[in-house]
Amino acid sequence: MKTRPKVLITKIGLDGHDRGSRIVAAHLRDAGMEVVYTPPWQEIGNVVKLAVEEDVDVIGVSSLATDHLIVPKLMAALREADLSDVAVIVGGIVPDEDEQALLDAGVARVFHPGSPLEDIAAYIVEATARVRAARFPALDAIR
Amino acid sequence: MKRADPKGGAGAPSGVDKRVAAIRAGHRATIARAITEIENDLPQSGALSAAIAADIGRAHVVGITGAPGAGKSTLINALLQQYAARGRRVAVAAIDPSSPITGGAVLGDRIRMGSSGGADGVFIRSLASRGHAGGLARATRRIVDLLDAAGFDVVIVETVGAGQSDVDIASLADTSVVVCPPGLGDDVQAIKAGILEIADVLVVNKGDQPLADRTERELDDMLHLRARRPGWRVRVLRTTATTGEGVSALVDTLDAHAAEAGVGRRRRQAATPPPGDAVSDTLRRFCESDPYQRLNAIEFVESAPGSATMRMRVGKSHLNFNGKCHGGAIFCLADSAFGIAANQYGVIAAGIDTHMTFQVAVSEGDVLTARSTEVSRTAKLAIYRVDVTRGDGTVVSSFTGTVYLTTRRHAPHLTP
Repeated sequence: MKTRPKVLITKIGLDGHDRGSRIVAAHLRDAGMEVVYTPPWQEIGNVVKLAVEEDVDVIGVSSLATDHLIVPKLMAALREADLSDVAVIVGGIVPDEDEQALLDAGVARVFHPGSPLEDIAAYIVEATARVRAARFPALDAIR
Repeated sequence: MKRADPKGGAGAPSGVDKRVAAIRAGHRATIARAITEIENDLPQSGALSAAIAADIGRAHVVGITGAPGAGKSTLINALLQQYAARGRRVAVAAIDPSSPITGGAVLGDRIRMGSSGGADGVFIRSLASRGHAGGLARATRRIVDLLDAAGFDVVIVETVGAGQSDVDIASLADTSVVVCPPGLGDDVQAIKAGILEIADVLVVNKGDQPLADRTERELDDMLHLRARRPGWRVRVLRTTATTGEGVSALVDTLDAHAAEAGVGRRRRQAATPPPGDAVSDTLRRFCESDPYQRLNAIEFVESAPGSATMRMRVGKSHLNFNGKCHGGAIFCLADSAFGIAANQYGVIAAGIDTHMTFQVAVSEGDVLTARSTEVSRTAKLAIYRVDVTRGDGTVVSSFTGTVYLTTRRHAPHLTP
């Protein structure tokens, strides 16, 4: 199976600045991906339910005003729902001193302001290939 | 027929039993993963679909279609609240269009079902149409079967924003709802020969808008001009999905239609159950005794009366002078699926006309799957449609073909 990534682009917490998440979602669509997009202010429980039902490969969380601080809670909730194989990336404003805490919590990658959209897309393709190889071990047999 | 996945993994027999039990118990993650497998046509999905075949036909399948912006998703949100109030468990398959250029899609229907999407009794899955025409995604029917087997009382299918000819939903859904925004005016005239004809229930949504009265009248008039058919009387209802007004009456009407017309329509049209061992072995022998198929490394995957699935991995010997897969090889794959589908009725079916498009170039290493379906069949002629898809779900070629059904029987070794 050629990978056509299925990606959730969302925002948790109280920050409503959604321009960034919209731009990223549109670019990923143009890169050939299937993007489930949500408006801001999602509750963590809802993001988890959505990730389960949509069976996404990658979750992109946009954070521009300190919402990255609750991403570790999201990571814990995903683990609890047996979704630790989903690659979670965070994009937006994450102070350097907070980045390690996110990575320690299980975030795969943090994209800072100025990250080229192409880099984000390329990373998602790569991450999807890893996620799917683990989920569907028999797949190579038909390729 | 032995079709257990030889590579084990998720498709291993004991795995299938466990997973089917989990699906029947409504385990979300198992249902979601199975949908992914069906959507991407992974090998293990065949065994799963076969294992749940006995469980389907209980859910009430409601199709919601209508022009883009008519308010389909918002109406579904209101329906979910109303169904929840009545203690029903509901699954939604919401289909959005894939870009014809890049294949990408933004799946946004779900966000308008936001206030209901979090409820425990609700399961929502977004699907990209992936180049399939008619308003649905190619795998929709099998996904509906899965949600049915998972024990949901109601399965709602939301089509892509529909145009005149997007009427596939009518053969899938037990009850088809066509949502019309107020003020369609001349557009109503324009589309009334197509999509409005499939409606069991017409809904004028955004009922609080000034033009709603007029649209409701126009649709009523249209129904009066139509010849009366026996059975269900098509009705026009008015809703305001954002406030929930009229939605309770809509659910009453949907229930009334299910009671009168029954559920499980898609099964009644599916002809017969999956083939038994004898039939499948015979079809396999058809393929084995076809040297031209073997030359092209085409393998038989599965079949049911009127349909067949064949697969081909594009190797060096399939390439043309441009280094892409030769059109003749893709044609051979589609033609094989066409031939197997048409030759399952005991008589020799002779191909008399075909047409094929090549919309996407295919490269070495791609695995192509051709799936044929029967469009119509009379005593003498049958028409088939074949979609050829790549591993990522992109439809690379579309094929239609007609056979003449002779009165001659197949050779003895090709008869079950």
